[in-house]
Amino acid sequence: MSEFAQSNQGAGKPLTVANKPFAPEDEVALREALKRCSPSTFEAAVQYRKTGNAEHMPAVVIGVIERFVEPDLRAKLKDGDDDLRLIEDLGIDSLTMMEIVILVEDVLQLTINNDELRNLRTVGDVKTFIDCKIRGLPLPRPTKFLPIEHIGAVMPVQPPFLFLNEASVSSTGANGKYKITGQEFFLQGHFKDNPVMPASIMLEALGQLAVLYLLEGAPTEPGKAIGSNTIFFTGCEGVRAHRMCKPGDILTLSIKPKRMKMPLATFEGAIRVGQEKAVIAEDITLTFAYVESAVVPEPVAPAEIAAPEAPIQAAPPLRVAMNA
Amino acid sequence: MPRVFITGLGFVTSIGNDAQAVSDSLRTMRHGFELYPPFDRPDMACKVIGTIKGFTTDSVDPEDWTWPQRYEIKRETLRSMAPHGLYAHCAFLQALADARLSEPDVSNRHTGLFAASGGSPMLTYYHHDRMIKLGPARCSPMGIVASIVGTLNFNLVAAFKIQGASTGFSSACASSAHATGYAYDEIALGRQKRMFVVGGEDGNRDAIMPFMGMRTLSLQTNPDLASRPFDAARDGFVGTGGGAVLVLESEDEVERRGVEPYCEVAGWGQASDGYNVAISHPEGTGSRFAMENALRSAKLEPGAVDYVNAHATSTLIGDVSEARALRAVFGEAGARPAVSSTKALTGHGLSLAGAMETGFSALVMREGFIPGSAHISRLDPACEGLNILRSTEARAPRVVMKNSSGFGGANVALLLRRGPA
Repeated sequence: MSEFAQSNQGAGKPLTVANKPFAPEDEVALREALKRCSPSTFEAAVQYRKTGNAEHMPAVVIGVIERFVEPDLRAKLKDGDDDLRLIEDLGIDSLTMMEIVILVEDVLQLTINNDELRNLRTVGDVKTFIDCKIRGLPLPRPTKFLPIEHIGAVMPVQPPFLFLNEASVSSTGANGKYKITGQEFFLQGHFKDNPVMPASIMLEALGQLAVLYLLEGAPTEPGKAIGSNTIFFTGCEGVRAHRMCKPGDILTLSIKPKRMKMPLATFEGAIRVGQEKAVIAEDITLTFAYVESAVVPEPVAPAEIAAPEAPIQAAPPLRVAMNA
Repeated sequence: MPRVFITGLGFVTSIGNDAQAVSDSLRTMRHGFELYPPFDRPDMACKVIGTIKGFTTDSVDPEDWTWPQRYEIKRETLRSMAPHGLYAHCAFLQALADARLSEPDVSNRHTGLFAASGGSPMLTYYHHDRMIKLGPARCSPMGIVASIVGTLNFNLVAAFKIQGASTGFSSACASSAHATGYAYDEIALGRQKRMFVVGGEDGNRDAIMPFMGMRTLSLQTNPDLASRPFDAARDGFVGTGGGAVLVLESEDEVERRGVEPYCEVAGWGQASDGYNVAISHPEGTGSRFAMENALRSAKLEPGAVDYVNAHATSTLIGDVSEARALRAVFGEAGARPAVSSTKALTGHGLSLAGAMETGFSALVMREGFIPGSAHISRLDPACEGLNILRSTEARAPRVVMKNSSGFGGANVALLLRRGPA
């Protein structure tokens, strides 16, 4: 368990930056460190260092990330989309990640361990992670990437009625993909000589992703787990279809929990094809129930990561693998 | 064995930042020396270096650097470079255009890259000092790849997506001549179809000042007199940096692509003095053996050589050693090739020198002249008996020998031959 002890250091005890008075020479050093960041980044960093108020942290973190992203990709950060992926969307490789980490450590006066970095896949992951570090909260459960075999093994729904090819689940939501193959049985009749994915099936796919979240991502009480045979659909509201989806389209699905209190869980959901909006659902509500869990849920993230059998794939570029 | 040709050149040097400017400087014997502001201090007797114009690389932060606008370099590529990485990157882009190479020609398993530089003393010091003062947690992730010997090949192989052979050479001032020789072998042995040879040096305070410890730098304060190989009053070498790139290709590739090569690499040889860690053998035995090995490798007689681009750096001992070696190889055979040292114009580029001067040799073969050995007002009597040119001659050399020597008494001689493919 030494790995656990080591990797969890920093979490659980609030940092005490505000206790150290912020001297003029600190401001000079801070200005030098952030000289290539926006003025608002510097201002936020000064405020954070003076007050220790975690509210200023996101501006600092985003400002630092922005500075290391190629100029033509920076516009993406302006939208404040927490689902932006560091590698795929922002082109940040593991060496750039180290540059970001060193600057964030320097500016926010904290220490980030290598194994903590492995689970940071999106801008939202980074914000949540730093926020937990600053507030001394336990680190969030890392995003899990689930291949089709894993999805099939845990889901109560099975082919030919399973509409997820792959998914990633974190404590804050889930994302998935489904490719419309054209071989789906219902497309023979929907419509005649004109296969179009039914909107009801797309809503079903979002519902399935929400089920997966309840089973794999939702926080549960100790000793309890959500029973896969206890989850059912109860209702949905605010559903709009914006685009017809046809064979060959790859649906990008995402859901986020809005409210969760036994026995109801409400999600918002969206489906995109590329950059185009396809379906929006403001509320999808499922019922669920707890069952006794044979295994006590493992403690938060780091210990799981250290265990090789944990079904977690570290995003490869964040594993600092250098050909030294 | 496949024949090997030079099909592209790129230069960032003290005498010009492209082939045309370099050619003009060589023809008119215009040097690239200036008083160097960082040496303007009472405890530094050496004042002059061969400066790189059009670039600023004084900062330890690559994002502070400036370079000619025509080269587009992303931060991601720049961040792990040493100053000479930037010079060589720009020279590389020139060489690609010069050889008319497209991306698929560059990035494939049949195309490799050999490089040579002394690393970056400036960045080595900066990163190491930071580590000592601020601790390992503040080590830059780029510190190592930007500064150690090898930084040139690491960066260029990644930037240009090289998939064939790649390595670095470390024989000090013979390094990039070694790289050229082994690149020739790589193609002649049929292992690769195309090789890039890259030399680079920062040529700044941190790279040049340490030579004060050996008392080998010229203390001349007049830039017009500082570097004068073979002159009786020479007093040491003048340091310089930059980047130079050669494109070597097999006969088949030259034919397939329909390009006009500068010249053929006819062969090469090397030998060591086995004498002193830093001083060349007084009789130039290693240099002599290297030249003889090169002639044998190329199946050429000494009389076939029209021009020798000498290693001569303007040091007291080195120039005489090489003159003796030249007399032994050519004099005894009754041959009198023209001899000059272009270091009189550029300064001594250390690890860069061999590739840069091989590039000069290829260039003058195409342009049809032999550059004079500048700044000789009175020839050193110890260098007599050789046809050392005092001015540029307007005749195209058919066979050129390029000599390079480095610390440890490592000597390389490369032979270039002009002729149709």
